[in-house]
Amino acid sequence: MSPYDLLPRFKAQYDANNQEFSIAGVVRPQAIDELGPSIALLRDAIGRVRGVLYLNVRRLTQMNNAAFHAFSRILIDTCRARPDLKFVVITSSVVGWTSRKFGRLSGIEPNITVEEYDSEFYPGQGFLEEGGFVPILRSQTKMTWRHERAILPRHGMRQGIVMADICCGIGDFAVLVQKEFQPSRIVALDHSISSLNYARQVMREFDIRGIEYTYGDASEMLLDEAQFDLVTCRHSLQIFNRPELILKELYRICKPGGRVYITNEKNSHCLGEPRAESIRWTYNEVAKLFGHFEMDVELGPKSRRYLMEAGFEDIRVETFMVTNLDGDPQDFADVIAAWADVYAGEMATRRGDGPEFVAQFRQGFEDHIFAALHPKGYAGWPIWVASGRRPQ
Amino acid sequence: MGPVHHELAGEPIFAPMIQIDMEIKAFVSAWRHCDYVSTYMARMISQNRSDSVRHSNLFSSALNELLEVASRTRHAGGDLACRVSRHGATDRIELTFPCVPEERQFYEEAVSHVTGTEARERYLNSVSGDLAPSREVVLLELAVDYNAALRVEEADGDAIKLVVDLPLEGLQH
Repeated sequence: MSPYDLLPRFKAQYDANNQEFSIAGVVRPQAIDELGPSIALLRDAIGRVRGVLYLNVRRLTQMNNAAFHAFSRILIDTCRARPDLKFVVITSSVVGWTSRKFGRLSGIEPNITVEEYDSEFYPGQGFLEEGGFVPILRSQTKMTWRHERAILPRHGMRQGIVMADICCGIGDFAVLVQKEFQPSRIVALDHSISSLNYARQVMREFDIRGIEYTYGDASEMLLDEAQFDLVTCRHSLQIFNRPELILKELYRICKPGGRVYITNEKNSHCLGEPRAESIRWTYNEVAKLFGHFEMDVELGPKSRRYLMEAGFEDIRVETFMVTNLDGDPQDFADVIAAWADVYAGEMATRRGDGPEFVAQFRQGFEDHIFAALHPKGYAGWPIWVASGRRPQ
Repeated sequence: MGPVHHELAGEPIFAPMIQIDMEIKAFVSAWRHCDYVSTYMARMISQNRSDSVRHSNLFSSALNELLEVASRTRHAGGDLACRVSRHGATDRIELTFPCVPEERQFYEEAVSHVTGTEARERYLNSVSGDLAPSREVVLLELAVDYNAALRVEEADGDAIKLVVDLPLEGLQH
């Protein structure tokens, strides 16, 4: 028997509070007997619930036909015996076959419905990932890269490593890393299909090799565990409502002894001179606005705590300030203008802000731009960098 | 530069990527060989697909079912050969394994039924049916859910060769 045989390949559990039966992992039995305890658990769950039973298969990476038939048989038989009971199968769009295969069941029994889960996990991302934001994301990466290229080697970046860039967005950071540090392999994952399409287009046009762009849910990735020397996740924990779930996954895919590298902001610390007061007021309001949509753009200084609580050791934290003096001040100004458009535009409207508030809110951004372009001015955008090592 | 495609007299030429050969006796000695082989081959051939992780997941799912079919052969001797080749967006699995004459006949008939409009209906009936899934269901599923093209080819001795063309790269999310 190989050590592989000893690993549990799948796990089934029932959560009575949520009336949710979940099964995760690789389910490829030779005979149905091997599923005995899981099937008994499902039958037991069915016997206990009224109304709806949720069947969570979001992390079911593989299931052979023998197992699928065994589980679907129970659902179909129950629908016929208990028309009062409904099943909602929760799939993930990331696992290509599940929605397709479980979707067949709803064609057979109307009391079985299939829902793809992913969208609800990303409450506010829609604001940030639509196509119009791409040029701004590129400018942001260009500005932060000037700092990060010097910082990254202190956090585990070196030639020849295997790395993952989770929440890679349009993939420009992965491309810069590939050119500068030549890791042997980069897996870059994001949940935005439009961003990935853009990244792949750039890779084709520039004949870039060594980056695999993949569609995935950062909180529940298909990637195997313990396979990366370095896992990066930039400016992303702050826009998830449950960053600890992402960190758990980053930890899982990182090799023991490897490092997880995160960057985040503390928006209320954006600053500028002249017109400092107006700028400070507006960025304090930015933090509140994101908070309204369950995103914490004040997360930067909390990175250390998050990494410690996720189980990392040898935690290193540093900060850098992107400023109007780093390169072309117009780049800085363009980024602020784009923030103003989204934050004082769609997001403020969605929150229901009145015209008076929006005018004052927008003024702070305009003053930040004024400071950035002023010949004697100074404008800053602070970033917190943190990394932790997964224990051996 | 993109991938090079070869065509000869209208028939696309598939470039070989990976092949695994095993004695069938060794292969069927452990059920998990299906999982090992499908997972390994899927990872190897998916690296340069546009979404390697997703491609690997789908390919492994399809190949594992075929290997499970081979693993249930009633013929005790001979070799299993699993070869994957590629033409553009399509990956071809050629699975050669020993079988008894009745099984050969079954596969030939089953493959002839996976094309045509009734294939989907047959597949749905099998999903909702009481019986445990048959080997035919596996082939139907590949055709219906994965848009696979299937055929049976002659093989040496008491063996059969299943040829399955999988256009996974073109499958939408």
